[in-house]
Amino acid sequence: MFCIVCFGLVVLFGGWDLRFRFCFILLFVLVFPFVGLSTPCFGANGEDALSVISDVEGRIVVCYRAVAEADRAGANVSSLLRVLNEACWLLSRAKLAYSQGDFGTAVAYANECRSMLDGFVDEADGLRRDAEAAAHWDFMVNFVGSAVGAICIVAGGYALWVFLKRREEITERV
Amino acid sequence: MSIKEHGLLYWVVVGVLALLVASPFLSRVLVYPRTEFFTELWILDANHRAEKYSFNIVRNQNYTVYLGVGNHLGYCAYYMVQVKFRNQTQPAPTSFGPIESRLPSSLPSLFNMTVFVADEQVLEIPITFSFNYTWDEQFSKVELLGLRLNGVWLNISDCKLSWDADKQVFRGFLFFELWLYNADTNSFKYHGRFVGLWFNMTLSV
Repeated sequence: MFCIVCFGLVVLFGGWDLRFRFCFILLFVLVFPFVGLSTPCFGANGEDALSVISDVEGRIVVCYRAVAEADRAGANVSSLLRVLNEACWLLSRAKLAYSQGDFGTAVAYANECRSMLDGFVDEADGLRRDAEAAAHWDFMVNFVGSAVGAICIVAGGYALWVFLKRREEITERV
Repeated sequence: MSIKEHGLLYWVVVGVLALLVASPFLSRVLVYPRTEFFTELWILDANHRAEKYSFNIVRNQNYTVYLGVGNHLGYCAYYMVQVKFRNQTQPAPTSFGPIESRLPSSLPSLFNMTVFVADEQVLEIPITFSFNYTWDEQFSKVELLGLRLNGVWLNISDCKLSWDADKQVFRGFLFFELWLYNADTNSFKYHGRFVGLWFNMTLSV
């Protein structure tokens, strides 16, 4: 970074061609944001890396709890689990990099993992709510409705039986 | 036609109808509850069979196995698979006694894979690995330099294999221990299961 800036000063205030100056400024504008963004990652120390990894681990547990609740409610969580398993693979890589002292890579993996989990809990909660509504409807129709329906058939059958029997007795008397 | 004469037929029809309507209700009520909650763990060869597991390991050559986890715990489970490697003298996980009281190997884990498996679902993890090792013929030992597992280099340089005179090989054991997340303690606990493969490491060509 320091080299680029020094070189830039030489180019700008030296006797360089205008076209070359323009190229340098363009290059600087394009490269600078990436260099600026990646600096915290490559300059990470052990404490930063551990902090990011712990944070991501906590998020994964929160996501797991949301998925477990959705699964318990009867939602199809296979797509969510696929995402969670991929995120876990990244976290495993981050932990391995951390254990090997490669803190920059550890932070990069942990950040990638964290970005994968953005909006995950909301999605899991949405699936859980849908599943709970479907389960309620299913319970009302297949459990309560079925039981009540069977009782109604027996009661209706009995009422019809009594009605037909009485009508038959009246007809016989006449 | 008298209703009294056909009373039996009438009640049979009513009964059958009632049973038909009640069948969804009965199917829930009369189901025998699950009483066994467990996890399956298995390892299959590259053809998804339990037949041709790799044994003679050539240096730096890739081998593939499939690690399977079947969840029958009654809830979505959070597992951790610890990858470990040992020689004949290093401690192995216990294999006998009640599964709850079995102990993991005291060796440090080389790599941890955490996976989530929904209830009554199976997850199969393809594992591609290769070993880098040197065979010291003079001292009759194999020195392991590294294990590459699913593209990740793991350091196993502190492990050395000595000659097994009985089997006439240098034997190393790559194994996978299964740990289960406990939400109450917010930590993983050994789940009493492991699978692994013994390898012979004398083929360096």
